[in-house]
Amino acid sequence: MRFRVKHVTEYEYQERVAQCYNLAFLVPRNTDRQQCLDSHIHIEPFSAWSSRNEDYFGNTAFHFEIQAPHERLVITSESEVNVDTQNAAQRLDFGISYAQALELLATSRTTEIREVKEFLLTSPAVKLNDDITAYAKASFSPNRPVLSCVRELTSRIYEDFKYDPEATSVATPLEEVFAKKAGVCQDFAHFEIACLRAMGLPARYVSGYIETLPPPGEEKLLGSDASHAWIAVYSPSEGWYEFDPTNDKLAADQHIITAWGRDYFDVTPLKGVIFGGGESPKLNVSVDVTRIEDAAELI
Amino acid sequence: MPQQKTSLRNDRLSYPPRADLLDEVFDVEGEQRPNWQYLMESITGMGLQALRDRYAKARRILRDDGATYNIYSDEFRKQGRIWGLDLVPSVLGSEEWAKIESGLLERAELFNLLLKDIYGPKELIKHGVLPAEIILAHPGFIRPCHGIRTPGNHELIVHAVDMVRGPDGNMCVLTDRTQAPSGAGYALENRAVMSRVLPSLFRDSHVHRLALFFQRLRAKLISLSLNHDNPQVVVLTPGAHNETYFEHAYLANYLGFPLVQSSDLVVRNGSVWMRSLNGLSQVDVILRRVDDWYCDPVELRGDSQLGVPGLVTAARAGKVVIANPLGSGVLENPALFRYINAISKALLGREPRMQTVPTWWCGQPEDLSYVLAHFDQLVIKQCFRSAKNRSVLVAGLSKDEKENLRAALQAQPQNYVAQASIAASHVPFFDGANLVPRPAILRSFAVASDTEYVVMPGGLTRTGIEEKTFLISNQAGAFSKDTWVLASEPERRPTNVPAIEAVNFQNPALNSLPSRVVENLFWMGRYAERAESSLRMLRTVFMLLNAEEPISFACKKYLLAAATKVTATWPGFVGAADERIHAPEDELMQIIKDAGRVGSVRSNLNSVIKCADESKELLSSDTMRVINDIRDNLDALDGNLNIDLSAAPEEALDPFVTALMALSGLAHESMTRGVGWKFMEMGRRIERGMQLTAIIRALLVPSLDAQATRQMIHALLLSTEILMTYRRRHQGELDIELGLNLVMLDASNPRSLNYQLERLRAYVDSLPQAENHSELDREHRALLEAETTIKLTRLHELCHTITADQQALALSEPQRLELENAMAKLNQHLSDLSTAISDKYFDHRVGPQQLVSVWESN
Repeated sequence: MRFRVKHVTEYEYQERVAQCYNLAFLVPRNTDRQQCLDSHIHIEPFSAWSSRNEDYFGNTAFHFEIQAPHERLVITSESEVNVDTQNAAQRLDFGISYAQALELLATSRTTEIREVKEFLLTSPAVKLNDDITAYAKASFSPNRPVLSCVRELTSRIYEDFKYDPEATSVATPLEEVFAKKAGVCQDFAHFEIACLRAMGLPARYVSGYIETLPPPGEEKLLGSDASHAWIAVYSPSEGWYEFDPTNDKLAADQHIITAWGRDYFDVTPLKGVIFGGGESPKLNVSVDVTRIEDAAELI
Repeated sequence: MPQQKTSLRNDRLSYPPRADLLDEVFDVEGEQRPNWQYLMESITGMGLQALRDRYAKARRILRDDGATYNIYSDEFRKQGRIWGLDLVPSVLGSEEWAKIESGLLERAELFNLLLKDIYGPKELIKHGVLPAEIILAHPGFIRPCHGIRTPGNHELIVHAVDMVRGPDGNMCVLTDRTQAPSGAGYALENRAVMSRVLPSLFRDSHVHRLALFFQRLRAKLISLSLNHDNPQVVVLTPGAHNETYFEHAYLANYLGFPLVQSSDLVVRNGSVWMRSLNGLSQVDVILRRVDDWYCDPVELRGDSQLGVPGLVTAARAGKVVIANPLGSGVLENPALFRYINAISKALLGREPRMQTVPTWWCGQPEDLSYVLAHFDQLVIKQCFRSAKNRSVLVAGLSKDEKENLRAALQAQPQNYVAQASIAASHVPFFDGANLVPRPAILRSFAVASDTEYVVMPGGLTRTGIEEKTFLISNQAGAFSKDTWVLASEPERRPTNVPAIEAVNFQNPALNSLPSRVVENLFWMGRYAERAESSLRMLRTVFMLLNAEEPISFACKKYLLAAATKVTATWPGFVGAADERIHAPEDELMQIIKDAGRVGSVRSNLNSVIKCADESKELLSSDTMRVINDIRDNLDALDGNLNIDLSAAPEEALDPFVTALMALSGLAHESMTRGVGWKFMEMGRRIERGMQLTAIIRALLVPSLDAQATRQMIHALLLSTEILMTYRRRHQGELDIELGLNLVMLDASNPRSLNYQLERLRAYVDSLPQAENHSELDREHRALLEAETTIKLTRLHELCHTITADQQALALSEPQRLELENAMAKLNQHLSDLSTAISDKYFDHRVGPQQLVSVWESN
């Protein structure tokens, strides 16, 4: 599937901002199942300086600074991406068992296995506790294919947790999310990552977009898509597989990846420092994910 | 007197060997080691009184140099403690030092390779030499620093090591410091003081010099610059409140690099710039004393106020080089010690020469069970160092503390290490009465050179506060010692090294100063002058109130009101009830003593001290001595100042006037006439001008009877130090026109308004100008207006009284309205001048805040 993604972030400040310095993860990365064909970021007002570099996790980090005074900041990121789906059906039914996975992780001396251990450790937004471990355990049994266990865990989170944007904020800790059993995609992803790490499986946070389809017979509304987050789990000898606890599915060709890391704070879509600006700026975000089905539209 | 003779004989100090302690001075048989003989003979023979005198002298020098160490918990001594220096140096022989030195060189090299691997290929993790979590789970491993490269052969520029000599006689490393190691500057200061306090002992002992180390450091920092024509190196400090701020200023000065705070630096177009008076000047290399996570709020700690936004990006792009590189704190993880032999074999092909304290990492199950089994014999440390978690000697804990620690350790074993407790060797310490043994720890320093490291001969020795004590840290009140590495023969000075420690690389280009420092000097000038004129006014008030010739009530009222107006401590005596005028003591005492009242003498003097602390690196030690005198006198003020007016309270104010005079004298005589000096002078002249207008308004605008008028003129001349001049020039009774002429117009009088304006003209004309506009800029405009007001003055008209019936406004008393108008105008122009200078040259940026990213989610 080929998509055009347009992601507009707009800040309106109460007072003039003299300067700002920002770091954005808004450029889709290349992965085994995705190629970023084209990407532009437009900044208003004019950015005096910007640069792209590959970060520690291989994501494209976009840095920019604005030295002109402004009261409004608009960042428009447009990209074209080719996305394939994951082929996991076979592994779900016949892949290596949970016990085998743990055994391989413990004993294998390969570089790859040593490197993925990074995603087993706790991270700023993913702290473990006994309650989370207990919750996770219910989905894992030694002889069941490990990915099948993860699939079940994903479904349970989908069933047990309520989607509620009012329930949490960026700063809500996991135990509170778990206590409320409510939150948004980011909370569900963090929770599932915590479960997986508690079970001894490397897991990472995946940040990106998801294409939403309008109800049959209706026109798709502009700006109705959203940035999204889900998880990837590592199974030794099988590789990384992505699951989406918010939608109870394996990430497929509607899941467009921008960046991944240990958790949200490694790949915050936009962060930075401003001088001035006053209190609580107004934020507007819109995302459009458009299918490019007509070959003539391909540039 | 026979008594004195006996006391002289008994005065000799002794330091006997002790069977129960390891001691540097004695070998196992209790024999004095040869390296210590000369020193111990000299020190013990010197006698108690002489040693006390030398000690007092050392304290004085340290204080005058501003050598302080701020202890965070010390709420009552915010100005910092005087650096503790014991006069008995720690001695190491040259052969033994050679062994230690080679171990340190190797260790620096090893940690350099380790740092390169951690932020590069991670071979040690990939090959299983190190468990991944030791690096990847350590908060010192900073992922945004991935990909930052330092030019040259070394990533690690400065490496410091703390070591003790253990029971086996070998030096053993307890910690490595790799982010922003402190102590090298204190070691240098210790040396400077020792060579002044015990000059002949120092000279005859043939001690290896420290200068070479600092020259290598300077050369290395300069060589890191990618701009080879005119490299700009700065020293970045968290600020005057940091515990080791003295050292930052001292080192910056010694190395000849500007000392900057984060607000002095700004990132533009991906490069780092320093805000100086001439605008922005590019910075190539930063020697930082700010910890890793605080250096950049964009990519590191978002709430840091000590960082420079965009710094990590600039470093990653190679636009600026930071020493030590950001992220080097990962090397401070003591869990690395557990694997030090394996790391060394992997990176250097051999085991390290230097011993490291035996360490168990609790993240390793077999280590954990060992630690739990031998808990009481071990020292427990957390892997990530912070001000809150210190090393703990389990044996020293109570039962409850022990259990709590054990539980915390078992809950998160991967965050803890245990180390063997090493009984450190002792050294003699002078406690004010005797020489007593104290355990010693030595911090040594290595700096990268072109191809290899160079180690400072000796380093900073610190001693525990009691015998056999385990914790030795400055925060815990430890003392320091100079460390003497004895040359086997009189040292031949290397030919490429100019002179010795005293070499000062002071950079003459003062226009490379950060504007913040200049702003502090400007305000130091203003506050000092404000304090001085307040003091003179108050002295005058006290003198006249107690004068032989009684003063009328009206006169007293205006005199006291003048005290309020000059100090700007409204409402005070202005419009006060008659009772307050009759009994002014309380209010007068408040104007002097109340630190919380803006405008009081104490608050102005506190401001002078604060500005001096912020621009310490530009002030001579003579100046710091005067500042210290002010500090001492302020401490003593409450006791000395008597509330009883009849007891001549003005005498308690005299020391301040003297100190402030000394301060302005020193500024004149011993400060380089650079930009900093100019701004300090401008501050002083503007303030003096404004104070003069305030005094004239307060005393001469009210039109009183002839006798009261004479008393007011007397007060004016007295408080502006012009009375003597007046008396020399004019006979007869005091005359208002003659008096005003001297105070306002006489350019030969350094305390006249006109004189201030003439000086200001010279300074303002010589300021760096941005563009060549034919239009006058704000500061020139304000100055010209002030000059015009003075030049168009007709004294006769100013002295004219507008009586009540002539007034448009119903004023209670007749006034000299023309004089009031002229002084008000002048005051406004001077205030405009100050604002214009401040707006143009100083930085008024508000602090950064995080861009709150409330992210929408699906």
